[in-house]
Amino acid sequence: MLTKAIIVALVFGLVSAAAPAIDSSLLSARGQKKPRQKVQRQVARYACPMHPDITSTKQGKCPKCGMRLRLVTVKDPVEAPASTPAATAAKEADDSTGFSSSRVPDVKVYDQNGNRLNFYTDLVKNKTVAINFIFTTCTTICPPMTATFRRVQQELANAALDVQLISISVDPSTDTPERLRDFAAKFKAAPGWTFVTGDKAEMDSLLRALGAAVADKNDHTPMILVGNDTTGYWTRTYGLSAPTTLVKVITAAANHK
Amino acid sequence: MNFLQPGTKDGPSLRSRTLFTGLGFFLVLAFFVGPGRGTHGIARAQEPLAQRERRGKQIYVQGTAPSGKEILAYLGESSIEVPGSAMPCANCHGLDGLGKPEGGVIPTNVTWEALTKPYAVPHANGRQHPPYTERGLELAITRGTDPAGNKLLNVMPRYAIEAEDLGDLIAYLKLLGKERDPGITESKILVGTVVPARGALADMGQAVKAVTTAFFAELNSQGGIYNRQFEVKYAETADTPTATRTNVERFIKEQQIFALTGAFIAGSEKEMIPLLARQEVPLIGPLTLYPQIDFPLNRQVFYLLSGVDGQVQAMIHFAAKKPEFRTQHLAIVFPHTEINLRVVEAVKEQGKKDGVSAPQAYDYAPGHFDVAETVKQLRYHNSQVVVFLGGTEDALSLMTEADKSRWYPNVLLASASGGREIFGAPVGFDGKLFFSFPTSPADQSPDGLKQFQALAEKYKLPTHHLAAQISAYCAAKILAEALKRAGKDVSREKLIQTLEGFYEYPTGLTPAITYGPNRRVGAMGAYIVSVDLKEKQFVPASGWISLN
Repeated sequence: MLTKAIIVALVFGLVSAAAPAIDSSLLSARGQKKPRQKVQRQVARYACPMHPDITSTKQGKCPKCGMRLRLVTVKDPVEAPASTPAATAAKEADDSTGFSSSRVPDVKVYDQNGNRLNFYTDLVKNKTVAINFIFTTCTTICPPMTATFRRVQQELANAALDVQLISISVDPSTDTPERLRDFAAKFKAAPGWTFVTGDKAEMDSLLRALGAAVADKNDHTPMILVGNDTTGYWTRTYGLSAPTTLVKVITAAANHK
Repeated sequence: MNFLQPGTKDGPSLRSRTLFTGLGFFLVLAFFVGPGRGTHGIARAQEPLAQRERRGKQIYVQGTAPSGKEILAYLGESSIEVPGSAMPCANCHGLDGLGKPEGGVIPTNVTWEALTKPYAVPHANGRQHPPYTERGLELAITRGTDPAGNKLLNVMPRYAIEAEDLGDLIAYLKLLGKERDPGITESKILVGTVVPARGALADMGQAVKAVTTAFFAELNSQGGIYNRQFEVKYAETADTPTATRTNVERFIKEQQIFALTGAFIAGSEKEMIPLLARQEVPLIGPLTLYPQIDFPLNRQVFYLLSGVDGQVQAMIHFAAKKPEFRTQHLAIVFPHTEINLRVVEAVKEQGKKDGVSAPQAYDYAPGHFDVAETVKQLRYHNSQVVVFLGGTEDALSLMTEADKSRWYPNVLLASASGGREIFGAPVGFDGKLFFSFPTSPADQSPDGLKQFQALAEKYKLPTHHLAAQISAYCAAKILAEALKRAGKDVSREKLIQTLEGFYEYPTGLTPAITYGPNRRVGAMGAYIVSVDLKEKQFVPASGWISLN
């Protein structure tokens, strides 16, 4: 429970930190206004996936079930497991997210045309990206989020900004590339916008790494992760904001020095 | 403008009529610049309500109007335009109108009772408004405001919709959540099946009819499901697929069938399946060898076992895993038909997955099998593993021809072409002849068998056409189980969603049944058996080969 509370606090804190990008609809959508929270500084903490009460500041195994402890929070991204390729290339991450390029795993995924890609190398490396999280059988928030993303894509094209849009399925066992292609076509997604699915296990690790993993797909948040891999700047924003707001956030990321 | 004004039923102003009779483009203008008063309930007031509501339901569920007029949705302050079909009402508000909360967005309950609560309705975010009227709803749909003039949440699009279509939609909203699919009442549920009644298959049709009737009679004698008694209706196939379709279409409409089970659709798949999709009638366990499972899926149809394509895929998998086969050249010989071409595609796909080289394909015109030439070609390419999709007769002539030159490749046949005639194959093929079966006696559990036998005894079921009987019986069993799981408040859509949740359901007589959002074949895979030509019997050559 403690772990969960910390994650909730952290995620909420992160969203708040991207406050300029959030319009009041988030708060009204949640049902009630909550005071904004400051981001808490966290030290690296590892917990058992099965026994959340087992936590440690070091990597290791759970004394109850023997599973490898997982990283729950980090203070400094450099301390994250060095299994990711860009660990050295990544610069100081933006403090508001605690996220960096080194956290983007290079898992194997499929795009909407059935091509096999490496997530980090093919889609993120040396690029400015905006990533949202969808599933094709999601009907309440994904259509508006995707329609908004489409408008963002048009406006970015008008501004001659080279930004890759990525929509990651949070329901990979249902979302086949064909389903994604259908979904993309419905919203007239133009080239430069990749819809991503893949094997459940790999997708789960991707979603966890990007902070978008949820137990119930219907609980997935309308969050957009915006990053400039070249400079290592990352931020999060609310996916149902007006397109102009999103364009501002993405432009800032693209122009980040 | 006074938003609290009750709905006007007394006709549109001339001005609004001109505004609304224009094309979608003008409608867009109307909702940006004009007052846009509705004209609903006038033009078609004389028509029976059911018609209007049916049209309204299509708008609600699919976001398209039966009138053919365009519906557009405009999202947020920057008015992002998307077709109505990308954001139909049911997307967020649900088929029941109660709303489907997702990611922190809680769509309003849009059932008529909830909308018209006779007091100021508070929402979770503090928004409060007086009850909706028809007029208020029009404004909510076209302008995104509630009866108090509050802006609705930005994920609720504003719709550009023809006034008459809007009227239809609102007529449907009054009914939303209270309607029931055809063929179901508090005390009754109508189930249908389609049987062949003439020609060589009539006997099988009788057997299927008998077992289906018996199954539901037995279920009724145990109290039915949620106090509903089953009534089983039968349609018959006709001489041509299109005539069968006409029969079944009339049958579904006139008899008000809720769902079909075990229907005989072999030979008319192409006609029947689109019909079921159009009529939105679920069908469980159709009798066919060719399940239509290409993307996009026909959501309504749930198959029990693998068809020829699935079985041949299992054969390829079997050949790829068998050490003495995997190094051999693979060939596939088939009568040139549309269906077989798809099977060949499936074979190639499976070959890729299993890492075997693409099989050499030989086709022939159905009825014109040049067996000498085929054998010559096969020998020339030294094809030691031959998958054969033609009938038993053609298969036998192929083997007889090969036998003349003492050449005995491994021959793999789908059970579709299987009869006892196959034991007449040249003895040289002993141990080299293989069959695929979508199910095997090993799948029959003692309990499953006992239940079926008890039913057969009690209702004096025919003793022939057992395979067809078992198939129809399992289909009915799956339907009954799904209706139990779906709960008392069942609809066709709910039935489909429940079936999609089936995981390893044991019918007792077939491999366990699993369905999913992308999966419509319950037992995907096959057994391979080899044919013992000396003892004239089948010998298992593999366990269950699953194609998941």
